[in-house]
This record gives sequence, structure tokens and C-alpha cells, in this order.
Amino acid sequence: MWLQLNIDFSFNSSFISKKSKEKSLHKLPLAVAGLALIASFNTVNASQSNLGPSITIQETSGEKCVLPSEEMRRQHPDILKHDRIKTLREGVRAKADGGVLDGSLKQCVNCHAIKDDNNKYVRIDNDQHFCVSCHQYAAVSIDCFQCHRDIPEGSGDFHALSNHKDINYNAVVPGTYSLTVQDMANIAPEVHSDDN
Amino acid sequence: MTINIENEKQQDAATKVETSRRNFIFGSVAAAGLTVAPAVMLYQTANARSLSDFSLKDGASSKVRLGMLVDTSKQVDWNKSVEACNKEHGLGNEKDSRDDQKTQYIRVVDVKNKGTGYTMSLPVMCQHCEQAPCIDVCPTGASMKRPDGIVLVDSHRCIGCRYCMMACPYKARSFVHEVLTDQTENTPRGKGCVESCNMCVNRIDKGQEPACVKASNGAIVFGDLNDPTSTISALLKEHGGKQIRADLKLNPGVYYQGI
Ligand code: HEC
Ligand code: HEC
Ligand code: HEC
Repeated sequence: MWLQLNIDFSFNSSFISKKSKEKSLHKLPLAVAGLALIASFNTVNASQSNLGPSITIQETSGEKCVLPSEEMRRQHPDILKHDRIKTLREGVRAKADGGVLDGSLKQCVNCHAIKDDNNKYVRIDNDQHFCVSCHQYAAVSIDCFQCHRDIPEGSGDFHALSNHKDINYNAVVPGTYSLTVQDMANIAPEVHSDDN
Repeated sequence: MTINIENEKQQDAATKVETSRRNFIFGSVAAAGLTVAPAVMLYQTANARSLSDFSLKDGASSKVRLGMLVDTSKQVDWNKSVEACNKEHGLGNEKDSRDDQKTQYIRVVDVKNKGTGYTMSLPVMCQHCEQAPCIDVCPTGASMKRPDGIVLVDSHRCIGCRYCMMACPYKARSFVHEVLTDQTENTPRGKGCVESCNMCVNRIDKGQEPACVKASNGAIVFGDLNDPTSTISALLKEHGGKQIRADLKLNPGVYYQGI
């Protein structure tokens, strides 16, 4: 990205200087101004050289990602696709040591969900969503969240649903999960924590 | 073709021998310990064992054939099971679809004998056929059968052509017509894919019984059809059971009593 910008600018500067040489000298102030502008661009550019996507890593009480960050950045599409075949087609949901599969999308979402200023989980249509923040920058578009849940469900305590409108939701304690009014209206009443 | 089927039958027989050998050993130990225990107790311990056999890390085993037995003579409200199913899978969150377009994993079918006026209702979900027509017609391999006999859609491969919906004699599959939000984490679902009852794989893999079974007050029994000591096999052996449209010879994994 940085390299590309530089190439653009050097092209620009040669273009302008060539033009100013060809034309009469009274264009010199313009050329100087142009060069000054380019110089200022270049300094901005230099300070931008490490400006990647800004992603938020949530607090995880010391827990690490499934792989070191460098590997994760490169390999997450592969491990996700590998493990979704294992889970869906073969019914394998845990590693040999009993832990959750590395490439479990549920896990990524549960760990990487971040909250906005209002303490609500940011959804997939928000630029701050962990996966989006990076993909937008990298021009990657994934369809996973058309089906997969984009924010945690809580500890299995409630299910979002909209077809039980007649039921009284007072028993549901919002706790730390500040959902929207719409989400609240959709929370199913029965507590599943006994078996989930 | 016939040869293939023959081979498969032989394979089945082979696995049966293996299971029964295991069961012979376990069975005799159990019998020694429980000579005075009532038969029901035996059923229960047997069932608990086969449920905990499922292991998260080993995945679906081809030694088992999971199935369900629905007892329609028990006067239970099948809508309870349907509701439990909807809740488990987050169904019913369509906003713009017509009622007949909305996803149903379980349909409650009311039948009436016009001659006698006798009526009854039964829940019809995916029958988890051994020879599943939906798998035969699927162009992408999305319609699939897990080694343990559960027939389901691999949404990652589904292109939404809906051939399987036409092929299914039980009308068990639904198509998602609109963009969905707020799915449950255990059942991702989205526009443009076919879906159906997956016998709650997410629960089974954790050693739990399907949601409809749990909500059925004992009217639906879940278990391993290959294991002669499982509750479901014992009940089937004792009282028999019918498969719907058995004439199609698809060998469904869902049996019914009282129909
Ligand atoms: C058409 C709907 C759909 C889309 C789109 C989709 N999935 Fe899935 N996915 C499912 C279903 C259904 C399951 C099975 C869930 C189960 O059995 O627990 C699943 C399971 C998984 C699993 C295993 C369960 C877990 O979370 O650990 C992973 C991993 C996964 N999908 C990754 C992806 C990725 C990555 C993408 C995007 C490239 C994606 N999926 C897109 C429907 C979808
Ligand atoms: C146990 C919590 C946890 C889980 C589960 C988890 N992550 Fe991470 N992830 C982290 C933490 C913490 C970091 C920060 C780097 C570190 O300390 O390892 C991170 C870093 C990353 C990074 C690199 C970010 C950067 O700095 O460039 C990516 C990409 C990533 N995770 C993707 C995923 C994906 C995809 C999944 C699911 C397969 C996943 N993570 C599962 C906690 C988790
Ligand atoms: C550190 C930045 C970063 C983060 C954070 C990140 N991704 Fe990615 N992701 C990428 C890049 C870059 C690619 C493209 C890789 C390529 O094309 O080789 C990619 C590609 C993918 C792909 C494959 C897309 C395709 O078309 O094949 C999937 C699936 C994916 N990411 C899922 C996720 C999920 C789910 C999360 C959030 C848990 C996530 N990613 C977070 C950078 C990131």
C-alpha cells in the first residue's frame, strides 16, 4: 500500500516538473508550491506507513488466540474451512485433548466479540466488528455471517427468537449482555443453561 | 445395483455381529448385577450408556444408526415438541415469508379415516432414510448422510437448487427465502439454502437427546437402532413399529407406533 502510494507520487512529481520546464518560467511559483505539497504528502505518507486496519482485541483474562497472531492472520481461512468440514460432515467437535476445535467459528465469535461505547456487542454490519475491521481494509468479503451468529449468545442462557411473542420475558436478566430492545423482544424465555 | 445393495447388507451384518459381540460381554456383566432389577431399569442404563458413547472428538461413528421411535398412541401435544425444535434451532424468525414458506423441521400431520371418522396426529420430520432420495439428487454433495445415519444439509455446499425438496417423499425440507438475523449459535441458517431436521446433531454430539425428544414427555424415544440393548431397539422388538411409506424401501430411521 505504502509502496504503491509512493510510486504514484513520484510519477506525479516528475509529471509536474516536466510540465514546468516546458512551459514559461512564470509558472515557477506554482511548481514550488506543488513540490511543497508533494513534500508534505510524503511526510504524511511516511507517518502512515504503519497504518493498518485498527482492530480491537477484547480483554480475555490472559487467554491466547488458538495460534500465534502472525499465523492466525495468515491461516485463519484455512483452519476455519478445515474444521467446518470436520464438524459438519464428520461430527468431530473437539480436539484429541478434549478442547474445542481450533477452527470453530463459534469460538472466534465468542472470544473476539467487542462492545461499543453503549456496552452492546457490535454486529457484523458495524465497521468495528473484529472480523470486519480487518476485512474491510483487506477488501475481503465473507458470507459466513449470513448464517452464523455474529455475536455471542451468552453462556447458552438465552436464544434469540421471535415466534414466542406471547410469553413474558421478565424472568430474563440482561446482566452484562446489553442487547437492543429488538433483541430483548426476541429472547426466548426458557433457560437452557442446564444442558447447554 | 443389486450387487451393491447386497454388499451393503453384508457390511451391515458384519457391523451387527461386532456390536452384538460387545453387547454379549457387557450384557452378561449387566445381567449378573441386575438379576432382580425390573426390565425398565435395564432399558434406562442401556440407553444412558449408548448416549454417552458419542464422543466429541471421535465424531459420528458408522457402528451406530441413530433413529427415533414416535409413539402416537401416547396422548401428548406434539406442538410442544415443535416448539422445542423451533427454539433449539431458532426457527420462525422469518419476517416476510408466507406461512407455507417458513421453515419447519417438524410438521404435525393430522390424518382422518373418512370411513370411521377416526382422527390422529403425528409429527413428521426428516425420516433420516438409509437410501435417501435427497442425497441421490443433490448436485453438489450438500445433501449428505453422516456415518451415524443422520441425513442433513451441509449448508456450506448448498446452492439452493431445491431438487432435494422435490425428491423427498416426506416433504421434510424447507428453503430459506429471506435474509435472516439473530440465528442461534448452534444452528447457522441463511437465505438461499435448504434445511431440515438434523436430529439436533449439535446436541447429540454432546451426548444429549434431540430437543423434540426431550419435550415429548416420553412419546419420542431416541437411540441407536444397531444396538440391540438400546431402549429404542428393545421397544421396537417388543411392540414393533412402522416406517411411513415403507413401500418406498428407503429404510427410514424414524419409526412410528400406533399408526
Ligand atoms: C448457508 C449457511 C452457512 C454459511 C453461509 C456458512 N455456514 Fe458454517 N455452518 C453452517 C451450518 C448449518 C453448520 C453446522 C452447525 C453445527 O452442526 O453445529 C456450520 C458449521 C460451521 C463450522 C463448525 C461449527 C463451529 O462454529 O465450530 C465452522 C467452523 C463453520 N461453519 C465455518 C464457516 C465459515 C468460515 C463460513 C464462511 C466462509 C461459513 N461457515 C459459512 C451454515 C453456514
Ligand atoms: C481464547 C480466545 C480466542 C479465541 C477462541 C480466538 N482468538 Fe483470535 N485472538 C485472541 C487474542 C487474545 C488475540 C491477540 C493476540 C494474542 O495474544 O494471541 C487474538 C488475535 C487474533 C488475530 C490477529 C490479530 C492481529 O493482531 O493481527 C486474528 C486474525 C484472530 N485472532 C482470529 C481469530 C479467529 C479466526 C478465531 C477462530 C478460529 C480466533 N481468533 C479465536 C483470542 C482468541
Ligand atoms: C488481521 C486481519 C484479519 C482479521 C482480524 C480477520 N481476518 Fe479473515 N482474512 C484476512 C485476510 C487478509 C484475508 C484474505 C486472505 C487471502 O486471501 O489469502 C482473510 C480471509 C478470510 C476468509 C477467506 C475468505 C475467502 O474468500 O476465501 C475467511 C473465511 C475469514 N477471513 C474469516 C475471518 C473471520 C471469521 C474473522 C473474525 C473472527 C476474521 N477473518 C478476522 C484478514 C483478517
